[in-house]
Amino acid sequence: MKTAQELRAGNVINVSGEPMVILKAEYSRSGRNGSVVKMKMKGLLSGSGKETVYAADDKFEQIILDKKDCTYSYYADPMFVFMDEEYNQYEVEEENLGDAVNYLTDGMEDKCEVTFYEGKAISVELPNTIVREIEYTEPAVRGDTSGKVMKPAKLVGSGFELPVAAFIEIGDKIEIDTRTNEFKKRAN
Amino acid sequence: MGERLPRSCDIFCAVVDNYGDIGVCWRLARQLAHEHGLAVRLWVDDMHSFGKMLPELDADLPVQTCRSVDIRLWASVMPLVEPADLVIGAFACKLPDSYVAAMAACERKPVWLNLEYLSAEEWVETHHQLPSPHPTLPLTKYFFFPGFTPKTGGLLLERDLLVRRDAFQHDGNEQASYWQLLNVPPRVANEMRVSLFSYENEAMHELLRTWEQGAHPVTCLLPEGRALPQVAQYFGQQTGKAGEVWQRGNLRVHVLPFGEQSRYDELLWACDVNFVRGEDSCVRAQWAGKPFIWHIYPQHDSVHMEKLTALQARYVEGLPEELASAVHDLWLAWNGGVDIAGAWGRFVENRTNLEEHGQTWAKRLSGNNLALNLLAFSRQVA
Repeated sequence: MKTAQELRAGNVINVSGEPMVILKAEYSRSGRNGSVVKMKMKGLLSGSGKETVYAADDKFEQIILDKKDCTYSYYADPMFVFMDEEYNQYEVEEENLGDAVNYLTDGMEDKCEVTFYEGKAISVELPNTIVREIEYTEPAVRGDTSGKVMKPAKLVGSGFELPVAAFIEIGDKIEIDTRTNEFKKRAN
Repeated sequence: MGERLPRSCDIFCAVVDNYGDIGVCWRLARQLAHEHGLAVRLWVDDMHSFGKMLPELDADLPVQTCRSVDIRLWASVMPLVEPADLVIGAFACKLPDSYVAAMAACERKPVWLNLEYLSAEEWVETHHQLPSPHPTLPLTKYFFFPGFTPKTGGLLLERDLLVRRDAFQHDGNEQASYWQLLNVPPRVANEMRVSLFSYENEAMHELLRTWEQGAHPVTCLLPEGRALPQVAQYFGQQTGKAGEVWQRGNLRVHVLPFGEQSRYDELLWACDVNFVRGEDSCVRAQWAGKPFIWHIYPQHDSVHMEKLTALQARYVEGLPEELASAVHDLWLAWNGGVDIAGAWGRFVENRTNLEEHGQTWAKRLSGNNLALNLLAFSRQVA
């Protein structure tokens, strides 16, 4: 059994008999010692998605599915194609990618973990930390090297925007926590 | 969705810190029973704490009816009962397994709500009314978040509260009778009356010293509770009890019995400034329309400061800088900050404007009534 706060995007749980894949999990403190986890999930059988919220200590039976290390290959509209070490290709729907879609770029070398249910690729987990290049951001603010002042920046490839430290410049490579979509530090 | 109007309601309350949880539950129970005609059962796991705010309650009786609410002791062994149409678990308390199983066995499932803690934080809006399908049973619970914006569940507000408040605040005779009842003498020139309901507070002695040495008299009305030993100590006492009066310099403290909710409302209406704590009294202070200072329930990792800041930001939004700073500085000083003497001085200087703002703020909030929202939502998902 896993508690709601231990669950991550890509995990599959049993909810009233239906296997549900978690697409996104967001933790919030609700008051005193209580906390809640908002989860976007999708039924593997019904295909229907829903947004839910649970107490952080609610318990779930986790369903262990087949997983394979893959790399992202290319986008074949409307599917994202991944390949394993034996050159087998797997198509994944954008909806099943969760936040991973923010970081997919052609030629990326990061190992992704693709999860299968009854032979179908249903989710993709990226490494917790990845490095990406900045395509565009406003010029750096002189004098502020604290990292506390943030500004938006667009990534090369996916075009995803996220807040980065004010001293980051176009062409810089940065480390990103893929679980929270947060900038961690400059990588170069 | 059946648009079914609930006719009965079970409210489950696990008492955590003596008064806050049961205070909210008892208020909600009465409102659903009196204003909306529901048959309400209130399950409470600590009758003795409950008895502090409901004098006619017999804490040794497991089943009794008070003010049209069926009150039950929530003991470790839950009796077999038929679940109500509407089931409310307050503040994420875990309902008994047998009761949850009984809900799941109902042909027409009850509407099951988890009434959450109050917070002004933005994320509450995106969590409000979301479903929480049971991991193993064919049941769905819904999270219901009280709050300060139209996208939340609103605040508990009795139908006639603001009318009664206005009548009280405009009737000098009624206020005089009220003070007489508390054995507090009539006001003297420039006197300020302050209610003080808080947890233990590091700034307590500095605040009391500020009042003692201030230019004008301060009468502090102190309900019995967690702050009492600290105040007693300031006056060289081991402890204190209701009815005692202590004086030092320009400060006089009257210790009041911890009483009924309606009497507490009158105290908030009658005082010039109110120090409140936790959730229920904080909301009541806002309905009182008077300047107030919130002592938030402290959490070990300081996450409570985010909640404090969130409410403060909403409360002062649109106010001139001087007024906003006056609120900010005193709230912060009373919640682990510094220089409460200076902050108190700036707060008092702006008292007239803050009082005007308090009335406007209460009016703004009053359009979002928690009980009405809760019943509308339960009809929607029934």
